[in-house]
Amino acid sequence: MDIDDILREVDPSSSGLPSETRDLQSLTRVWVAERSTPELLSWPTDGLVERVNGRIASQIERVEALTGDMDPRSNFALIVIQTELERYKFLVRSYLRARLAKVDRHALHYLSTPELRARLSPTELAYATRHQALLHNHYLASFLGSFGPTLQNLNDTSGNITMIDHPDLENAVFIRLLRDARVVGKGRRRRWRRGRQDGRHHHSQVV
Amino acid sequence: MALPLPQGLVPTEVAFLCEMEMVTVVPRQRLESIPLLSGDTPVLRPPHRAQMPLWLALLLKKQRRANIVPPAWLHPASLADIIHHETNVDPQAFSPPPPPPTRADGRRRPSPATTHALPRPSCPRVRPMPPGGYLPYHWLELAEALLAHAADDVPATAEVRSLLRDLQEVRAAKMRGSTQSLEGGGGVVVLRGVGAMELAESRAFVLGVVDGVRKLGASAEATRRDEEANGGGGRYGGGAGGRGDFEDSDEEMEF
Amino acid sequence: MSYYDLDAILTDAEKVPCKFELDVPDLGYLDNNPSQGLKAQTPVSLPLWLAELLALSSRTQSSNPEDSAPFLTLEMPKALSNEVVSALKADPRAVALRDQTHNMYGLATRMLDLFEEPEMCAVLRRTFVTRAAETALHARKAGATDDVVRGEGFLSGLEEWERLLFRRAHDGNKACKEWMEGVKK
Repeated sequence: MDIDDILREVDPSSSGLPSETRDLQSLTRVWVAERSTPELLSWPTDGLVERVNGRIASQIERVEALTGDMDPRSNFALIVIQTELERYKFLVRSYLRARLAKVDRHALHYLSTPELRARLSPTELAYATRHQALLHNHYLASFLGSFGPTLQNLNDTSGNITMIDHPDLENAVFIRLLRDARVVGKGRRRRWRRGRQDGRHHHSQVV
Repeated sequence: MALPLPQGLVPTEVAFLCEMEMVTVVPRQRLESIPLLSGDTPVLRPPHRAQMPLWLALLLKKQRRANIVPPAWLHPASLADIIHHETNVDPQAFSPPPPPPTRADGRRRPSPATTHALPRPSCPRVRPMPPGGYLPYHWLELAEALLAHAADDVPATAEVRSLLRDLQEVRAAKMRGSTQSLEGGGGVVVLRGVGAMELAESRAFVLGVVDGVRKLGASAEATRRDEEANGGGGRYGGGAGGRGDFEDSDEEMEF
Repeated sequence: MSYYDLDAILTDAEKVPCKFELDVPDLGYLDNNPSQGLKAQTPVSLPLWLAELLALSSRTQSSNPEDSAPFLTLEMPKALSNEVVSALKADPRAVALRDQTHNMYGLATRMLDLFEEPEMCAVLRRTFVTRAAETALHARKAGATDDVVRGEGFLSGLEEWERLLFRRAHDGNKACKEWMEGVKK
């Protein structure tokens, strides 16, 4: 399913919206979801972030062009444009940094299976891999190296407990219902996030 | 440069979201459309009203280019109604959220309900502000922003301020009491009608209580799940999807 | 449970009462009697991680579960004794949980894994929820001095989970207050 179809399904009235407006909506949604869930959500594969970054870049160019123009009428427009630009940049930055915090916290976990790795963007994957390698070398040099070889692992899973720290998927989340609907609880509430991404449960939002 | 914030939106982030809420303004000056990243702003022609996100309205207000029309629910009579409802009609629950707008044919549309939650930046055809008598999701932050930056547009500000404080108090007590429902297990706290800022204030606490109750009942829950799984057929066994299909499995809780 | 979770590690180290099912040579020092071996059924205290291991593993090689006998039998720690549970049942707020153990609920969840005690589970859940609401009230009032004095007794009796709840409630109130003060700017 195409993102446009999903959005149409989510919100039929949005089908007539300009794509810029829809992108801001999508970005806001992924930001709220990312900030509200214990685990890293999938990187939007529809090019949302890339598209948004492109728009920001061209808007910055526009600001530069307008700054040269001293017409007082365009002065206020410039303030509005710059205010919006800052808001937009805040959203992108906060979204990326919220993801980074999760990757940092559980890097080994997100690198551990292909399924989990697929949630990361290519840049995030490169970052996580290199960061983890740096950390491991640092640990080796500062203390792990003094241990016996069998005690040097950081990803040991024996003894009923894994050294690979992972987010608590049983953590509670708030779900906002936008109209009357039945909520189905399940030990692993991932179901909800999956549901929302499919656009099927468009009446709910993790907040 | 990882974000050093806890899980869940913090008050300043909620306020940021609130600034995307649409408000009505009465322009005092003409203003041509401005091309923004999220779409073009409406053309402003006094005295025609226009809808725009709060952040833009506040910007126009600061420059004395427009007045903001306070939403109906912010009027003293409406707030007093809501307080009456919260204290006398239903002292347990929050007052109900605004009803989803209905179509002319009376049929419920799924979409406008969605719009309550989702920002509609610079989008001209949006829901109107919820009618009086109901608090919207961003009630507190919207009210505070208007009182701070457009106080002269809000009638009876002193009264509104005092009503808002009363409302905050009575609802804060409900928030604290909300986790009491977890006593018997169940693991779900119903907060219908809660506001975004109230949620931000109590989120970590409420989630902590839910998680604590979950852990305290974890062994009982594990036994129950084992029994279900071994129960032959069970709820997991049924259905075409089998165990991987969560669609019809497990207990169902009504909100 | 997380590998690096300090509270879990501290809970693991909580001492629990138990009795060995057999005589153990050279362990007399556990009963303050180092010159002799430890007699079966002598009450001793062992850290939870060790006691749990010995209570759950079988000392015979037999594959027949009927004659699998553990090395020792566990008992409920004092913090979860009938006495404490009855007091909690009467008034959850009146008990200083911290005086029992700093990891009251952590220990309880571990013991409830080992013992089937649905009633204790229900009492603890009610205790946790009731005390949580009280904790939130104190957190909200933490700014007003006279209230803090009144609440001191209760607050000093909070165990670790509850202290975390207090901090969360307090931080939430504080962040909200700061935002309210900042709106005007």
